[in-house]
Amino acid sequence: MRIRILLLVAAILLVTGNDAHAAGGRPQGKMLVFAAGGAPSEVDYWQELLREFTARTGIRVDLLRQPTDTSLRRQTLSLALMARERDPDVFLMDVAWLAQFAASGWLAPLDPYLGRAGFSGRDAFFPRILELADTWKGRTVALPMYVDGGILYYRTDLLRKYGIPRPPATWERLLEDALKVQRGERRDHPGFYGFVWQGAQYEGLVCDFLEFAGAVGGIEAVGGKVIVDTPRNREALRFMRDLIHEYGISPPNTYTEMKEEETRAFFQEGNALFERNWPYAWSLHQAPDSKVRGVTGTAPLPAFEAGRGTACLGGWHVGLSRYSDAAAEGARLIGFLTSHEIQKKLAFRLGWNSGRKDIYDDPDVAERLPFYRGLRDVIERARPRPVVPYYNQVSEILQRRLNAALAGRISPGEALSAAQREIRSVLSRYD
Amino acid sequence: MGKDHDLSEVLRGYAFLAPLCALLLVFVFLPVAGTVLDSLMRDVTFLPRRFIGLSNYRSLWSDPGFWQSLRFTALFTLVSVPLELALGLAFALLLEHPAPVRGFLRAGVLIPWAIPAAVSGRVFELIYNVQYGLANAIVTGIGLSDGPAHWLGTSTGAFLALVAADAWKTTPFVAILLLAGLSSIPEDLYRQAEVDRAGPLQRFSRVTLPLLRPVLVVALLFRTIDSLRVFDLVFVLTGGGPGGSTTSLSMYGYRFFVGGDFGYGSAVSVVLFLLAFLFSLLYLGAGRFGREIA
Repeated sequence: MRIRILLLVAAILLVTGNDAHAAGGRPQGKMLVFAAGGAPSEVDYWQELLREFTARTGIRVDLLRQPTDTSLRRQTLSLALMARERDPDVFLMDVAWLAQFAASGWLAPLDPYLGRAGFSGRDAFFPRILELADTWKGRTVALPMYVDGGILYYRTDLLRKYGIPRPPATWERLLEDALKVQRGERRDHPGFYGFVWQGAQYEGLVCDFLEFAGAVGGIEAVGGKVIVDTPRNREALRFMRDLIHEYGISPPNTYTEMKEEETRAFFQEGNALFERNWPYAWSLHQAPDSKVRGVTGTAPLPAFEAGRGTACLGGWHVGLSRYSDAAAEGARLIGFLTSHEIQKKLAFRLGWNSGRKDIYDDPDVAERLPFYRGLRDVIERARPRPVVPYYNQVSEILQRRLNAALAGRISPGEALSAAQREIRSVLSRYD
Repeated sequence: MGKDHDLSEVLRGYAFLAPLCALLLVFVFLPVAGTVLDSLMRDVTFLPRRFIGLSNYRSLWSDPGFWQSLRFTALFTLVSVPLELALGLAFALLLEHPAPVRGFLRAGVLIPWAIPAAVSGRVFELIYNVQYGLANAIVTGIGLSDGPAHWLGTSTGAFLALVAADAWKTTPFVAILLLAGLSSIPEDLYRQAEVDRAGPLQRFSRVTLPLLRPVLVVALLFRTIDSLRVFDLVFVLTGGGPGGSTTSLSMYGYRFFVGGDFGYGSAVSVVLFLLAFLFSLLYLGAGRFGREIA
């Protein structure tokens, strides 16, 4: 408790220290604090957008620059909110922590503002995403700023070379194609692999599992209870393990080293036929120094013959603090940031995929970002990770158990039944 | 006379001690007591806070993730600390020898210690990498193996990889500490031992080791506590995998803090604290501080 107080003091200093006007009291006009992190170029762009907002509305906004790391961004926000700080007023959240923030009562409902002047209505956004991720106990507590879903990257040149007419629609097909091409390519390229994905012990593994499993069953959050141990999920996990150990189309370090950037580099070096990654990898694969430039295609992730393909929903959402002392102004900022105009700018400047449907119909976007066309379908069907406030604890268990199964330390069945037991005991702590 | 004077003397003593006590109270005692108190609460951001007694500890007891991380942390400490101490002592003895570039060597040996653990973790990750790692280049280069080895792929492999990386990083720290201890041993004692016709081994075991004992214990203490709460190196190098087999206690507790469960995270921290505290008591006893030596 005391240690928390110390941490809170530190957080308060951190937050207020950034507010140049803290010492002299607030100036006449309300002043907003907006927290955002990410790559330096991203944060600089936020600054630019905020200046534009100020020029139009006269509301001044201070940008609280957060670190790049997602966990650190979460911590700095949590500490300020636990201390009921008035700042930051508006902030960005990873979709994976939305439920915890909402259940902790840190987010002000946005419903009173939705559809009012300068604020789009709920119908502007993808309804499933709004329903599954942004709604808590019937209230809209956040809006999507950037939505993400896993997709399949493939080598168009290699498919052609081996007479494969189109990217695989099923995992069974992917396995077949990968084996064929890998066998052929290995003759003069020994380090070549059929398929790379994220299997290291970290959050990304849960996303990948959800995509394999989602194609047949998936993780269900039924009445707040998370159900992972189903026969179909066991099948999916067995398939993932076999990709590495049985069929050998995924490299042995899949479960130790492969995160997004490692798989991207692997594919970009020309060492793989297929890659599972987020849409961000697209522009990097097309960079001048990329070996797969011009020969990369994208497709939705495959399905199992018995199911349908699915993508894991990732991305960032914007919310308003319940402790904000400038809620009306904060809401105006959110209305501005989620507007068609700004979402379009974000798509062009940062390559962000909007949570607004109309961005994908926009003729400019279709012309300048042809890649977006295929994304709409992926995003509309994307499934979130279990939307429960204790998701972080569930994820810790899943990462550990799924990774042990991929390493061959325990069987897929044991992994999921042990994970289920542990999740049940986490739940019993929160009853 | 006597009494008044004594009292003011005593008061003055306390007055001199007061700032230190205040510092210890604010920065050591209160945070520790606060963490212990918090570990007895259900302190979760999304639930009402309430006192639950030892419930968090009962949950820990039946939590396989906790036991796995406790086992790893204990094993990691038991293997890496003695190794680092032995290597550090060897380095210190070598560096103690007069050599033309001794100053340069002494500074040079500190380089690994000066590199942040997160950075050296990343470097070792590249060394162990299956595709383009240095370790595989060497092993296949000298024909020890025909295919690339997957160093981090098994729990034993990942464990040893972590021990090696940790030893590389912290041996210099031990070496420099022991070197300071060595240089405080009076030359006369060695000459005296030579007069008594003690061989090099005897001089080491009868003169060097006993006189080095307090410094050795300090090095042991620092290394043990550091090793018990290892975080950055593991976080970067293995991420706690494969299958959670290299998740350290502090990493395990950290997850709960991030997820908003402060009570449970505190319980993990308290266990870690008790472990470190026990070891410290043990070492301080073994160090025989406050007693005359030799």
